[in-house]
Amino acid sequence: MTTIRRFCCNDLLRFTNVNLDHLTETFNMSFYMTYLARWPDYFHVAEGPGNRIMGYIMGKVEGQGESWHGHVTAVTVAPEYRRQQLAKKLMNLLEDISDNIDKAYFVDLFVRASNAPAIKMYEKLGYVIYRRVLRYYSGEEDGLDMRKALSRDVEKKSIIPLKRPITPDELEYD
Amino acid sequence: MASKFGFAGGIPERKVRPIWDAIDSRQFKNALKHVTTLLAKHPNSPYALALKALVLERMGKSDEAFSVSLNAKDHLFSNDSLLIDDLTLSTLQIVFQRLDRLDLATECYEHACGKFPNKMELMMGLFNCYVREYSFVKQQQTAIKMYKLAGEEKYLLWSVCSIQLQVLCGNGGDKLLVLAEGLLKKHVGSHSLHEPEALMVYISILEQQAKFGDALEILSGKLGSLLMIKVDKLRMQGRLLALAGDYTAAADIFHKILESCPDDWESFLHYLGCLLEDGSIWFDEAVNDPVHPPKFVSCKVSHLSDEQFDCQISIASTFIRKLQTDTVDNSIRCPYLATIEIERRRHLRGKGNDNDLMDGIVQYFCRFGHLACFTSDVEMFVEVFTTDKKAELLEKLMKNNDTLSASPTKTLGLSISLFKIKQQLLLGDMFKSSENDVEASCVQMFEMYCKNLPLSKDLDPQESMHGEELLSVTCNILVQLFWRTKNVGYLVEAVMVLEFGLSIRRYVSQYKILLLHLYCHFGALSVAHEWYKSLDVKNILMESMLHHILPQMLVSPLWIELNSLLKDYLKFMDDHFRESADLTFLAYHHKNYSKIIEFVQFKDRLQRSSLYLMARVETPILQLKQNADNVEDEEGILQNMKCGSHFLELSNEIGSKSLTFNEDLESRPWWTPTVEKNYLLGPFQGISYCPREILTKERETSLKRDIEKKSLLPRMIYLSIQSASLSIKEHVEVNGSVTPDITLELKLLLERFAQFLGFSLSEAIEVVKGFSNGERSVISDSNLIDWLNFIVFLNAWNLSSHELVHPDRNERRPIIWNILDSLLEKHILEKVRSMEPQLCSPWSDIQLLMQLVTEPLAWHGLVIQSCLRSCLPSSKKKKKSGSSYQSSSNMAHAITDSVQQLSLLLEDVMKWISEWNKRPEDENAEGILSLLRKDGHTEGPGRVFHILETFISSMSNADVGDRIYHSLKSWSPADVARKMMTGKLKVLMEFSTICESKLKLLQSLKQQIAHV
Repeated sequence: MTTIRRFCCNDLLRFTNVNLDHLTETFNMSFYMTYLARWPDYFHVAEGPGNRIMGYIMGKVEGQGESWHGHVTAVTVAPEYRRQQLAKKLMNLLEDISDNIDKAYFVDLFVRASNAPAIKMYEKLGYVIYRRVLRYYSGEEDGLDMRKALSRDVEKKSIIPLKRPITPDELEYD
Repeated sequence: MASKFGFAGGIPERKVRPIWDAIDSRQFKNALKHVTTLLAKHPNSPYALALKALVLERMGKSDEAFSVSLNAKDHLFSNDSLLIDDLTLSTLQIVFQRLDRLDLATECYEHACGKFPNKMELMMGLFNCYVREYSFVKQQQTAIKMYKLAGEEKYLLWSVCSIQLQVLCGNGGDKLLVLAEGLLKKHVGSHSLHEPEALMVYISILEQQAKFGDALEILSGKLGSLLMIKVDKLRMQGRLLALAGDYTAAADIFHKILESCPDDWESFLHYLGCLLEDGSIWFDEAVNDPVHPPKFVSCKVSHLSDEQFDCQISIASTFIRKLQTDTVDNSIRCPYLATIEIERRRHLRGKGNDNDLMDGIVQYFCRFGHLACFTSDVEMFVEVFTTDKKAELLEKLMKNNDTLSASPTKTLGLSISLFKIKQQLLLGDMFKSSENDVEASCVQMFEMYCKNLPLSKDLDPQESMHGEELLSVTCNILVQLFWRTKNVGYLVEAVMVLEFGLSIRRYVSQYKILLLHLYCHFGALSVAHEWYKSLDVKNILMESMLHHILPQMLVSPLWIELNSLLKDYLKFMDDHFRESADLTFLAYHHKNYSKIIEFVQFKDRLQRSSLYLMARVETPILQLKQNADNVEDEEGILQNMKCGSHFLELSNEIGSKSLTFNEDLESRPWWTPTVEKNYLLGPFQGISYCPREILTKERETSLKRDIEKKSLLPRMIYLSIQSASLSIKEHVEVNGSVTPDITLELKLLLERFAQFLGFSLSEAIEVVKGFSNGERSVISDSNLIDWLNFIVFLNAWNLSSHELVHPDRNERRPIIWNILDSLLEKHILEKVRSMEPQLCSPWSDIQLLMQLVTEPLAWHGLVIQSCLRSCLPSSKKKKKSGSSYQSSSNMAHAITDSVQQLSLLLEDVMKWISEWNKRPEDENAEGILSLLRKDGHTEGPGRVFHILETFISSMSNADVGDRIYHSLKSWSPADVARKMMTGKLKVLMEFSTICESKLKLLQSLKQQIAHV
């Protein structure tokens, strides 16, 4: 039961139940506000009955030429609302916006190489592992760059996996 | 001019690049070297000077930086022929901003814009300055100039947003909106609009003026196509139609939304509201606090005739049934919950019957009962029933549960929902059930948890486990049993259950929060603090979560931990206030206009945060407590806070502020629904699930008083130290020039402080005098510290004013001083003597004892130090002036007696603390565990614990998997028991260290007196 709407500042004071999850990062204010100020259409929250925050997605759109893409920075769901496909709905929304409004070529995201449940979920949503980014997380753990091609990338060129892993300084975008 | 523009202030770029490079790589010394070279060639270049100021500021040399930047500014202003470029200005701006002098940066840009009125780049800089200063009117004026110059939509919108800010966040009247609308209308007429956000602002301007029809017209016209997310546009249309009172059309719109998003609960509520011509949901939106929206749906009894009502309800029902049939996705709950909501509306109208509503809930249970959110989904509907009906519903749910066949995880989910609903909603009168039944239900839940552990054996350790909630519910009921029986064993059992759960999976935040509060209740604050830290509360989460630990820490001796909590929090908030305007400018720049007002309002909300204001006051008080054993150090601290006058301002202002409360109270345990309330400290009231009656207004009033009172303290401490030293000087300088200001100001503050005690100053003085006759009925635990603080300051004031004279002039000590010493002694000894060194001795009494020592006693110590310092000659003057100690004999007696009396008192406290440490650790742990051992008893705590122990010893790794098996095998209840006690002891040891330091001070004072 989900009303998905744009995320707003007051939601930062309401998302405790979601962010207390140990895998959900609570960023600094300028991070959230930069996303809100630059990509408000990529920052959505799902609200349930009783005005409860169920989860949210934050992302952005960036890149040049055929690298113009949507990026999922965080997607998270409160424990109370898991196993209801909410993450999928939020991801689909971001994909739709990237595809239909911003005409991006693909959507990508980074995930900890050890986070098997999340990788499995993204694969179910149609994402493939595009490349491995060595020691992406605090210089310790590898990250996986996963991608899903959008309708503009007719030949699905954007998701052909890279043969070798890369280092964080080789990344085109932060 | 243009050709010169690549040159900043006429300096070629290659000469400044090394400076910037050095700054960027934080090699400030190197940067300074380059700047010095540059300045040798261009001594009067504002740019070179600005760079020097920047480097100095980054090196931490703020004063030098400020003077160099002023110099740069002077050169900028004085040289008319000088070209002013944005690079120079923006560099200066950075320096001024870092030095907290935004006004000077603005002056520079204003000057530049005056000199070159048509330069867009400079105007942009000026606009940005005004954004940083929140000067909405000047923002508007600058933006409109830019719009006139460039004709761009963006600048018009900047101006319009600045108008909106004046209306919503400033003092501008609503009439300004007409101006904003006019500007937009004219622009649309000639240029149309090109950005979706511009349209959103246009609509909001019309909506704020209640011009809903005009807004709708625009939205359905050509401009409407700017909104690319279709559902957003429909929501906007529906809302405007409803606000305009056209409910039929609005209902059609929401109907459309639901067809494409059948799970959109809010749209369903809007749809139903429109059908029943009830706009409460929109009207209440304006008055509700957006951070704490109501859990229940706003609605009122429909004014429609019975016939109309039935007809509308049947339209809704038919549509919802259709949605149910059309929906293939099993996870969509809205159409099913909608059925219950429709029944609830009928019920409110007096037309429904309980059975239909109940059936709706039962149906929903059959379909979604296994989900963790089931209970919160139906919470508002169950509230409709009477107690009997609630019980009937529970019975029906249980019956249905028995007939449902599902997978093991779903079965588990259903059972959890049943337990939750039983605990949270239905058995508000659980007190009717016998303790045995309640315990049995705990046992059942815990057994279910253990039995279902194998379901989670293959889960990733990161994933939530099946049945996790059972332990929280078990804990909640065990705590209730404690409340009911006052048998502390239940609390220990609750701790064991949660610790057990965390040993299996250490990420469950719900357990950690419950544990944190339980440990606080025992006084094992250091352990509570550890669990709080493990929640990794940072950044904005501090604002919503700090309330779990801060209030307890404020009255604890864990000063280092408290200091870091306060420091981190204030740093986060102040950083945000500093950077917020720059982020707002980012929204201007990226044309996301709707975010501009949101950002400004949010900053304003945080600035008025009750927690923030409280932390600002508590931080200096903590510093003063920490340094109270050395009057010179204390004076240094006071100097740094402008002798407390800044906090006096806060105290004066707070009354007119409206505070915001941003705590997430939902995450608090049932027994302490707000910071101020803890049911466990009072008698059992016969409710199992306490209503979270959050009376914000009341909280606001009492918190404001608290802040107002506390922010007087630094100044009063400062004045008391001064007053005490004046008292002696008067004796020395018989005709000296003693300024009466200190005495007078302290008297005024005493008058204010007395009001917090409910008296005028003269009345309060009479009350205090009465204390010497044993009349102490006005003192209670809740105002004890305030009274004693008051008497400390009163005594200090009296030392210089001598207004209060002892009736018997031959008495060897000043009257108030006498009373103060005896009150301190009485209350401290009373606490110490009444408490046994046991785990369950009431922590609130120990808290009070710690406050007595770290507050009034500490402040009194400062007064004594100050008196003594004044009458003892400093080493230089020693020979010349001799000592005045004997000359003021009353004072000398008072000091000598007081030092002696307080020393004995502290020795008593320390002796009492040492009693706690006498018992060996294992004996303590065994004592705690014995609270849970049944030893043949069938009643009382320990049943759940028994299952826990049996389970651990009987399970195998084949059942639960290696990971769970190993974590359980290494878990020890004795360790937990030990932790409970050591956690408490650690706090007491910290307290002992504080007492020891105070005792040392008193001993050194004794020595000083002896040497006179």
